[in-house]
Amino acid sequence: MKQGLKSVETRYMEERDEFFRALRKLDRRSFIKLSTAALGAVAAHGIIPPNSFQPVTLAYGQTATGTGGSFRIAYISDSHLYEKDVNDRFVRALMRAVDDVNALDPQPDFVFYGGDLAQLGQPKELELGAGILRNLRAPLKIMVGEHDWYLDMGEKWKQLFGEPTYSWDHKGIHFVTLLSVVEKDFWTERGMSPMERMKTVAGLDNSVQSPFSVGESQREWLRNDLARYSDDTPVVVFSHSPLYKLYRPWNFWTDDAEEVQAILNRFRNVVVLHGHTHQMLTNRIGNIHFHGFLATAWPWPYAPEGLPELTIQMTRPDPFNSQDGCGDGEVQVHPDGLVDKVYNFWNRNPLTVARNYTASWGREMVPPRPNRASY
Amino acid sequence: MRTNRLAIAFVGVLVLAIVALQSRGQSTQIPMAEHGAASMDYQLAELAKLLPEVDVATAPAGFDPVVWRAFIPEGNEMTAARVDLGKKLYFDKRLSKDGTVSCATCHDVTRAFTDQRRVSEGIDRQFGRRNAPTTMNTALLQTLFLDGRSPTLDHQARLPIINPIEMGFPDGNAAVQAIAGDAEYQRMFKSAYGRDVNYEDLGNAIGAFERTLVFVDSPFFRFLSGDVDAISADAKEGWRLFNEKARCVTCHPMNRSNPLGTDNRFHNIGVSARHQDFEELARAGLKALAEDPSESRLEQLALGTDMSELGRFMVTRNRSDIGAFRTSLLLNIGITQPYMHDGTLETLWDVMDHYNKGGEPNPFLDGGMEALGLVDEEIDQIVAFLFSLTDDRFSEENQKQMEEQRAKAKVSRPFRDDELAFRQKIAFEDRIKQ
Amino acid sequence: MTFSRRKGVIVLAGLLVGGILSVAIDWGVGGEVQAVVRQESEKEQGQALADSIMAQWTRENPDRASDWIAEEKERHTVQPPADNSDLLSGGQGEGHAYGEYTELDVLMWAREAEKLVVEGSRIFHDAEALGGTVGVSCDMCHPHASNTHPETYPKFQTQMGRVALLRDMINWCIEQPVRGERMEPDDARMRALEAYIYAQRKGTELNYGKH
Repeated sequence: MKQGLKSVETRYMEERDEFFRALRKLDRRSFIKLSTAALGAVAAHGIIPPNSFQPVTLAYGQTATGTGGSFRIAYISDSHLYEKDVNDRFVRALMRAVDDVNALDPQPDFVFYGGDLAQLGQPKELELGAGILRNLRAPLKIMVGEHDWYLDMGEKWKQLFGEPTYSWDHKGIHFVTLLSVVEKDFWTERGMSPMERMKTVAGLDNSVQSPFSVGESQREWLRNDLARYSDDTPVVVFSHSPLYKLYRPWNFWTDDAEEVQAILNRFRNVVVLHGHTHQMLTNRIGNIHFHGFLATAWPWPYAPEGLPELTIQMTRPDPFNSQDGCGDGEVQVHPDGLVDKVYNFWNRNPLTVARNYTASWGREMVPPRPNRASY
Repeated sequence: MRTNRLAIAFVGVLVLAIVALQSRGQSTQIPMAEHGAASMDYQLAELAKLLPEVDVATAPAGFDPVVWRAFIPEGNEMTAARVDLGKKLYFDKRLSKDGTVSCATCHDVTRAFTDQRRVSEGIDRQFGRRNAPTTMNTALLQTLFLDGRSPTLDHQARLPIINPIEMGFPDGNAAVQAIAGDAEYQRMFKSAYGRDVNYEDLGNAIGAFERTLVFVDSPFFRFLSGDVDAISADAKEGWRLFNEKARCVTCHPMNRSNPLGTDNRFHNIGVSARHQDFEELARAGLKALAEDPSESRLEQLALGTDMSELGRFMVTRNRSDIGAFRTSLLLNIGITQPYMHDGTLETLWDVMDHYNKGGEPNPFLDGGMEALGLVDEEIDQIVAFLFSLTDDRFSEENQKQMEEQRAKAKVSRPFRDDELAFRQKIAFEDRIKQ
Repeated sequence: MTFSRRKGVIVLAGLLVGGILSVAIDWGVGGEVQAVVRQESEKEQGQALADSIMAQWTRENPDRASDWIAEEKERHTVQPPADNSDLLSGGQGEGHAYGEYTELDVLMWAREAEKLVVEGSRIFHDAEALGGTVGVSCDMCHPHASNTHPETYPKFQTQMGRVALLRDMINWCIEQPVRGERMEPDDARMRALEAYIYAQRKGTELNYGKH
């Protein structure tokens, strides 16, 4: 090729040769460890894998000491189902995610569903979603998204899935699920019908709706729920809205975020896993590490302002592939409660935001940057 | 003794010729070589008829000259001497261990520069796992081989020669030894590259020759240039569908800078998913490559074992490349049957059925594959369009193929699934019902 | 204010004439207009007439009765058009037909420009108006028209395998992700959508060919 005009293949070959040259310098044991994708070992040897060369199996960060166990959970989120004969794509995507999770070996401890199972909160949509999720082999935990709630204010949801706010303990980690899409009543004064209310909330950029919040009663519940746990207890919070303030015009926002964070402040390590944003998103505020879920239905672009510093964007998706920028994923939970967040993109390599990345405030194990970011 | 050997050789060739003819099922007009190929001399004669005398240094008509030049590697600029050397090498069976296989065996001038077989046959009648792509119009391909493990034509040409199941030499030196004694070659190498016979230039020369194999004078291109009657109304409608409802153009773009009809990317469209268990293979593949990442082990694995089905993944080890193969170019597609990387789709109707239902669902399926909902008329129109992409010089064979394929398609459409195609059933439905 | 007796007679006559005329005008929409002629000032009468026309239209167009522009803007923020008030001063000569502008002109331009953009916003956010069949509207991937990059056209659009203009890509999106039918280039909806998309990128530098 003429200088400067290299094909993808040539560039790839050069990268790969470079990588293997570095690899050959390792002794055999390290080499095998490498090939089974211990990303920590790679980082320890100072070898950065080229962007095009990512290990297939999960990357596990250094396991820190703590009071919890070390285990893996899977997640699926934001499927926005319509009935099958209205939109087949969204159904296909959720089925593909369930297929992915069922094929995991070993199976995760449980699967978490991140909310927005239905698109317009209609009973048929929720039932369709529930039916598909019933095919999961591992136990399912689920939370509410705004698309599930605002048609009937959670009536059908509670029938299918029980109370939206709950907590439980698993291997020494305390898990909490919040309903963080509470909106102040904007519909009564406008005389909106339930579907009008739902459609208003369903529009990400619809400014008639109110900002998301957790609300005083749930904050009270949270305070009480956490009261009996020592500051050392690792806490993981599942929330649909991000529990911080990113971009108000798209409700990438929790209005009482500071109050909720204040309740969580006393714990050594808190992880918030949230849906709603349909993208790779990372943040850290004090002791709280925030990670976003991928959607199965469609990807959102990045907000024009307010992006957390720690966030490394995912490559801008290709609209030809309705599943590009989407997928499912896994969360490797460490004993100290911090997590490796694995984004299993469809038709792309998996990307991991490792425990060390947020623990080191973005200095270690930095994920690769996109060549095609949102702009 | 010499006479005996000669006699045996003569009889051997005769027997082989008869066997080859029987298996070819053709008239005894075309003299045959081994492994089902036409004889090298006959091919050369045909080639002379097909290709006009041109200045090889100029971009061929129909290609953007700037783009054309950008694909020629530095140090291998096109000269008549290099093209002639490459031509001689392309048809030279001495480049195989047993002297029966040349490039032209599987990339036969009389068989659309491929072999029109499901998978290709090499020395000792060994069969590989992959369908041989045509060497027509390869000048603008960004990667070679269906898994893209070669960055240029020059690099690609050197690999089948040292592949144990194709041409069988243990390494490049052995291949060079086989021809270095030939005074003609010594002269030609000196004239083309100013060096002695060597393996690097051997590949370069073959690449240079292949760049002259340009066949873009199709009815469709005449239509694009303004001849409105060049293709049928059905084909025109097929071209419209190709760009719109059928979603073909995104992976098979055709424009003035890239007329080939390939995006040079790798997609899992689910063809390999019909054969075996992907995920197990993927894990096994990663393990094997971790033990020996050299190029030759890749070659062996790619062609010899089941892992060949993992495609591009064997080269990049990207999870997203599992089961992905390079998008085929579409020019002359009417005569380069059978289709797909493993040659399992016999007709273009089968190809359309495969896409119409959104491919085969598997964990690594390209999400761009969707059920298309094309009705029979639309499929026929797209197929008519595809047949219009064949160069006029092969129009007779194209016509024959079209009729043969149509007849086959009338009898059976094994890949057809209307439930999936018209979205009555969702692609992953079957996989998750426990 | 006082009328002289003579003026009063003339005005009364004028009112009567105007009243008769106003009743006689055919509104053509098939309903009956109740125009009441009262002994009021011209201005008030005009207002009453306008109100009754509006009421008539409202009865016949219940969906669009309210100020749909304000409603749509409340739902989805829309970039305002450029501020042309700098044209109100200066100029080379007073009272010229060509070259002098009033506040009302500037207001009217802004309102009209805004209308097309707001109509575009309305369609952008409505899967049915787009002709989509899968319940997908543009804002589901492009909230506030983000990621539409109109300033990068013309460019080689990889999804289409050729060079495209903005409306070609809009049509592609309508056919593929939205699963609707392609619009004719001068379809009113296409023009509105283009207007909205351009408007939202107000202030961005043109950069054709950028991927």
